Amino acid sequence: MKRTMIAAVLLAAAVAAADATAQGAPAGDPAKGGEKTLLCSGCHGIDGWRTAYPEVYKVPRLGNQHEAYLLKALQEYKSGERSHPSMRAIAASLSDQDMADLAAYYAQRGMKTAGK
Amino acid sequence: MMRASLLSVALAVALACSATGAAAADIEAGKAKAAEVCETCHGAGGNSTSQDFPKLGGQYPDYLSKALRDYQSGGRKNAIMASFAKPLSKQDIENLAAYYAAQPPAVAFKP
Repeated sequence: MKRTMIAAVLLAAAVAAADATAQGAPAGDPAKGGEKTLLCSGCHGIDGWRTAYPEVYKVPRLGNQHEAYLLKALQEYKSGERSHPSMRAIAASLSDQDMADLAAYYAQRGMKTAGK
Repeated sequence: MMRASLLSVALAVALACSATGAAAADIEAGKAKAAEVCETCHGAGGNSTSQDFPKLGGQYPDYLSKALRDYQSGGRKNAIMASFAKPLSKQDIENLAAYYAAQPPAVAFKP
């Protein structure tokens, strides 16, 4: 009985730790994220905008993308794991809180147009 | 003069073909390939319901094809995507990008 209890506590701790690792970031506030898009909207705010360096292609649409994916993309640009000169420079200037807020903002953007 | 202009037209066509590097995208072929390779994670029509896998439906085709090429080359690192992207031909990539770009997103994108 005692052993079961200990196992349960350990399991709960492991799950909590895994969860914390998965998140690893502060909770995002979409309203605050909306105030931090100054560096994003010059490219991502213009439908069909093309990046020109180092390759020409349309910058991705972000609205309604999964929050966790958006956050991961910013973290990878910041760490240099994902390479794009502009995105690396911009992500490097963002705090963990900024990235969480921006991910939360873009993830919910577009939801209001559901069904249109 | 006539010959010169014919030549320049031929040259222009040749350049245009080499620039794209692949035949025109085939959305139906992309759909078949997507069902085979991508859908398990990215969902029907690319509208993934898992936070781990990005939504693809309605994304720009040239962004999607660049992502796949980068996964192939290792320029973008993701073990799962590398293994799925590597077997794709240039034509597969164009077809998949065109297919996903043509799918309506579950919720309309805003830029």
